[in-house]
Amino acid sequence: MNSLTTKKLKKSLVSTEFFVLVLIVLLAVFIEMQSGLFFTNNNLVDLLRSMIVPSIFALCAYLGFISTGPDVSFPLIAALSSYIATQFVVITGFQGSIAIVFLVAIAVGLVLGSINGFIIAKYNFPSLIVTLGTSTIFSGILLGAFEASRMELPATMADFGRQSLLAVTNAKAGIGSSLPMTFLIFVGLYIIVYFVLNHTMAGRGVFAVGGDETSAERAGFNVKLIRFGVFTVSGAIAAIAGVCYTVESLYYLPTEFAGEEMIVIAAVILGGTRLMGGVGTLKGTILGTLLITIVTNSLILVGIPVYWQKFFIGAIIIIGTAISVIQSHNLFKSKKSKDSKGLQNSEVVINETAQKQ
Amino acid sequence: MKLLKNNSLSLNQLDGNTARLLTMFVAIFLVASLTKPDMFLSSGNFQSMSKQLVEYGLLSLGVGIAMISGGIDLSVVYIANLSAIVTGMVMKALVLTAVGPELLLFILIAVLAGVLTGFLCGAFNGFLISKLHIPAMLATLGTMQLYMGIAIIISGGSTVSGIPRVFSQLISNSYLFGIPLSFFIYLFVVGFIIFIMSKTKFGMRVFLIGTNARAAAFSGIKINNVLIKTYILSGLLASLAGILSLARLSSAKADFGSSYIMQTILIVVLGGINPNGGYGTIRGIFLATITVQVISSFLNMFPEISNYYRDLIWGVAVIGVLIVNFSANKKTTAKLAKATAN
Amino acid sequence: MSENILSVKGVHKSFGGVHALKGVDLTIKKGEVHCLAGENGCGKSTIIKVISGVHKPDSGEVELNGKKYTSITPSEAIEAGVQIIYQDFSVFPNLTVMENLAINKALASKKKFINKKEFRRIAEEAVNKINFKVDLDALVEDLPVADKQLIAISRALLADAKLIIMDEPTTTLTKTEVKRLFEIIEDLKEQGVTILFVSHKLDEVYEICDSITIFRNGENVLSCQVSEMDDEKFAYYMTGRKFDSQNIKQNAKAGDSILEVKNLSAPGFDNVNFNLRKGEVLGISGQLGSGRTELSLALFGLLKPYEGSIVVDGKEVNITSPAKAQELGIALVPEDRLTEGLFLSQSIKRNINVTKLDELSSKLGVMNITALTDESKGWVKNIGVKTKDHEYPVQTLSGGNQQKVVLARWLATNPNVLILNAPTVGVDIGAKHDIHTLLRNLANEGRGIIVVSDDVKELVDVCDRVMVMQQGKIINEIASGDLNADMLSQYI
Repeated sequence: MNSLTTKKLKKSLVSTEFFVLVLIVLLAVFIEMQSGLFFTNNNLVDLLRSMIVPSIFALCAYLGFISTGPDVSFPLIAALSSYIATQFVVITGFQGSIAIVFLVAIAVGLVLGSINGFIIAKYNFPSLIVTLGTSTIFSGILLGAFEASRMELPATMADFGRQSLLAVTNAKAGIGSSLPMTFLIFVGLYIIVYFVLNHTMAGRGVFAVGGDETSAERAGFNVKLIRFGVFTVSGAIAAIAGVCYTVESLYYLPTEFAGEEMIVIAAVILGGTRLMGGVGTLKGTILGTLLITIVTNSLILVGIPVYWQKFFIGAIIIIGTAISVIQSHNLFKSKKSKDSKGLQNSEVVINETAQKQ
Repeated sequence: MKLLKNNSLSLNQLDGNTARLLTMFVAIFLVASLTKPDMFLSSGNFQSMSKQLVEYGLLSLGVGIAMISGGIDLSVVYIANLSAIVTGMVMKALVLTAVGPELLLFILIAVLAGVLTGFLCGAFNGFLISKLHIPAMLATLGTMQLYMGIAIIISGGSTVSGIPRVFSQLISNSYLFGIPLSFFIYLFVVGFIIFIMSKTKFGMRVFLIGTNARAAAFSGIKINNVLIKTYILSGLLASLAGILSLARLSSAKADFGSSYIMQTILIVVLGGINPNGGYGTIRGIFLATITVQVISSFLNMFPEISNYYRDLIWGVAVIGVLIVNFSANKKTTAKLAKATAN
Repeated sequence: MSENILSVKGVHKSFGGVHALKGVDLTIKKGEVHCLAGENGCGKSTIIKVISGVHKPDSGEVELNGKKYTSITPSEAIEAGVQIIYQDFSVFPNLTVMENLAINKALASKKKFINKKEFRRIAEEAVNKINFKVDLDALVEDLPVADKQLIAISRALLADAKLIIMDEPTTTLTKTEVKRLFEIIEDLKEQGVTILFVSHKLDEVYEICDSITIFRNGENVLSCQVSEMDDEKFAYYMTGRKFDSQNIKQNAKAGDSILEVKNLSAPGFDNVNFNLRKGEVLGISGQLGSGRTELSLALFGLLKPYEGSIVVDGKEVNITSPAKAQELGIALVPEDRLTEGLFLSQSIKRNINVTKLDELSSKLGVMNITALTDESKGWVKNIGVKTKDHEYPVQTLSGGNQQKVVLARWLATNPNVLILNAPTVGVDIGAKHDIHTLLRNLANEGRGIIVVSDDVKELVDVCDRVMVMQQGKIINEIASGDLNADMLSQYI
C-alpha cells in the first residue's frame, strides 16, 4: 500500500501538468524579480481577462484531441457564428437579454460543428484536413458571401461587454483593470465540460473512443455518434468564445479570429493532452493556456520587446513538447520492456504516433 | 489498425486521382476559355498566372514531401519569409555601393545566404522530428512561431525593402518566350523533385517510412537520416519560394502570406497525397497547383465575385476530392480482394 | 437437445466474391472446453463473428441455448450469454482498470450518469470472480499483457457469460501466465461456463480442451474428442497434406565460427555468451520477457549493449544500426510481421527491394529500376510467394506468403548470419514446412541461422542446438543429440 501511494506521488510529480505548473511559477517569479509588476492586482486581472477567450477555444481543441485529432476550425466557427449573432441584433433591433444573442450564436455553431462532425465521423478522414477545409469554407462564407467587416456593436452587446465583474486599480501605477462578465461564462463552461466528461457515460465514451476505437465499438458505444456529437458541441463552444471575444472588444472584428488556432493547440498540447487521443486533462489545458498567456502578456513587463514574443512562444512549444515526448519515451521503455518491445535505439522509437497528425 | 486506417492500395489508386485532376483542370480551362475568351486566353493572363503560382507551388512541394514521409511541415511559409528577409538584408548590406559584376556576385552571395537559411531551418525541423521524436505537426507548429519570431527580431518587425532593382528585374521581369523566368525555375524544380521521389532510393525510402516507420527501421533504413533530408528539402524549397517572392515584391516581411499555410495543405491533399503518409505523386501536386491557379484567375475576372469566394471553393474542393478518392479506393480494394481471392 | 449450448448448422457466408464459410456445422456441449482450430483464412474468425452477431449469415442457422436464430444481433448474442475475449482484449488503455471493468455493464444498463461507488463495486465483483489481484485505479496501459486479458475475462463474466469465446488467448502470454489462464479456465468450467478456445497450438489443445473442431477452407473437416487426436492427424486435417517433419533435418556439418558473442549485456539480458558456426541452426528459446527478443535486437543494432563484444568472422564489431548489421552480413526477420516487418499497403516488389536500394542504385542514388524489378521477380519465384503480380500490395497475401516476402527481403542481402524471431507465428502449416526446409537449406549453404522461438516443435524440428533463456540469462543449452520436445518443454 505504501509503495502504491509513493508510486502515485511519483507519477503526479512527473506529470506534464506538474512541469507546466513549475514553469509558470518560475516564469512568474522571474518576471516579478525583474520588474516587480507581476503580482500586482491589475496584472493578475489582466492575465485572467486575456485568458478567457483562449481558454474557451482551448476546450474546442481539447475535445478534438481526446476524441479524434486536431481541430483547427474553431476560430472561424467563432467568427462566423458571432457575426450572425451580431447581425441578428443589428437587423432585428433586438433589445432583450444577451442570453438570446448567445443562443443564436450557439445555434449557428452547432450547425457548423455538425458539418465537421458529419464528415469526420462518416468518412474517418484526418480531422486536421477536414477542419482545415471547412474553416476555409467558413471563411469564404464570412468574408465572401456576407462581406463581413469591422462593425460597431449594437447597444445590447456593447453594454454587456462594458459590465465588469471586478475592477481593480493599481495605486502605484495608477492603471486600472477590470474583469468582464464573460469570465463567468468561461468558468461555467469548464465546470459543465468537466462534469460531462467525468460523470456521464457520454463523457467517458469520448475518452473511450479516443483511447481505442475498436474496443469502444465492441463495448457498445456508438463511435460515429460520439465523434459527431463532440464536433457539434465543440462548434457551440467555439460560438460562445466568438461572442465573448466580440463583446470584450466592443467591435465585431472578422479578421481577428484566424490564426488563433495554432497558439491554442500549442497551449493544449503543452498541458499534456496527447495528439493520438484519449489522454489529457482540463487542468492541463488551463495551465497550458495560462503559460502561453503569461508569455504573450507579461514578457513586456521585463522589458523584452514585443517582437520577441513569437520567438518565445515557438521556443516554449518546442521545449515543452520535447520534454513531454522524452518523458513518455522513458515510460515507454521501462514499461514495455516487459513485453519485450522496449527498443532503446532511437531509430525505432519513431512510431506511427510520433508522426501521426 | 494500420490496415484499417489505410484504406488505400497502391494499384491504380493514384492514377485515378491524377485522371480526375486532369479532367477537372481541362474542364475549368475550357469553361474559362469559353466564358472569358479575351481575358483568360490573353498572354498577359498566362504571364501573371505563371508568376503567381510559383511561390505557393514551391511551398506545396515541400509540404507534400513531408506528408508523404508521414509528417507535415507547417513552417514552410515562415521559412520562406525568413529566407527572404535574410537575403534582402544581406543584399542591402553588400550591394548598395557595388556596381557591375561585383553586384551580381553580391546578389549571388545574398541568395546563397537565403538558401542556407532554408537549409538550416529545415535541418532543425528534421532534427526535432527525427532525433527528438516530436510529432511533426507539433514540431513545425513550434518552429513556425520560432522562425517568424526570428524574422521579426532580425527585421525589427518591419518590412525589408530597398532591394536592388537588378535583382527584381533579373528574376521577376525576365521572360523567355513570353514566360517569366521564375516559372521556368518552378518547372525545373518540379521536374527535379519528380525525379527525386520516383527514381532515387531516397524517394523510395520516404514513401516506405511514410507507410510504416517501424518496419522501415527494421529494414535497415536510416530513418533519422532520411527524415532530416526530407525536411531539409522542404526548407530549401521554401527558401527558394521566399527568394522569388522577394524578387517579385521587392520586399519581405515576417508575417507575409500567412494564408499560404492553409492553401499549401489544401493543394497537397487535392493533389492526392495521403494525409496518413506513404502515398501520392509530385505530378499530382503540380496538377493541383495549376488547377487552383486557373480557378482563382478565372474567378478574378468577375469583379463582382469577392476574392473570398475562392476560399469557399477550395474548401469544398478539398473535401470533395477526399470523398471521391475514398469511394474510388473502396472500389479498388474490393476489386483487388476479389482478384486475389481467386 | 439442451445439452448443447451452441449448435451451428449449414452456415454460409460470402464477402464480395469470397466464400468464407461453405455450410459449416459447429456443436458445443454445455460446460465443455471446445477447441476450434484451423489455418489462417479457414473461416475461424468469420464463424465467431456470426455467433456473436457481427456478421449476418447468408444461410443456415444458429441455435444458442435451445433457441434458434436465422440471424442473431449482437445484443441478442450478449443476452444469450455469448462473450468474446478478443486477441487484443478490447480494453481502453487510457482508462482505469475500474472503468474498463464497469463500463460495459453500465452501457448495457443504459445508464446516463456515472456512479463511482457503483463502478468500484462492480469492478470488485468482477475481479473477485476469478480471484484476480489488481490495483483498480491503475491505468490499463501500465499493466502487463496478461492482466489486460484477465480484465477482459472478468469483464465477460460480469455480463453473465455462458459461452466465452477466446480468440487465440495464449499468443502474447508467458508460460506462467498461460498456466494461470488455464487454471482460470478450469475454474470457469466448474462454474458451468462453456469455453470455445480458438487455437492452433496442439499442446495447449491437449492440455485444456475436451473436444475439437477443425476448419479448413471454410468447411468443418473434423469434429471429435481431443482424446482421439494425435499430431499427425492434426496436421493432416489442418492442411489436407501429410508432412514428414523428421526428414527436414539433415546431418549438416558445422564449420568455423561465424558469430561469437562474449559477455554481452543490454537492457533485457545479461552476460550472454555463445558461438554460432557456419552451417548451424541455433535455437534461442525462453518465455516471453526472458530476453530472447532483446538479444536478437542487440545483434541487429536495434538495442545498444552496455558491455560485452560481438565478433563476426573473427573481427570484433560494433553493430550500431540495422544498416551496419546488414553491412556485416547479419539479417533479422522480426517478431511482429505486421508492424515491424511489412509495408502492408506497398507492393510486394517494394517490400523486397528495400534492402537492395543501396546496392542497386548509382552513386548519386538513382535506382536501377530494371535490376530491382528482376531482383523482386526472381525472389517471388524462388521462394514461392503465391501472387499474380509482384506489384500487388503485400496486404493481399496470406500470412505465410507475407512472411516469405520478409524472408526474401533479407535473403536478397545474402546474409552470413540470419536471425529469425518467431518465424512461423500466424503462418499456416504448409508454409511453415516450406520455411523450415528453406532454413535447413540455407544452413547447408554454410550460413549461420538463429531461430528465436517458443514453439517447441519448431525448435526440435529445425535446430541443431537450443539455448534456453530465463530472466535475461542463458540457463541451459541442449545439444542436438539430447534435443526432444519433452525435455525442451521442461526448461522453457
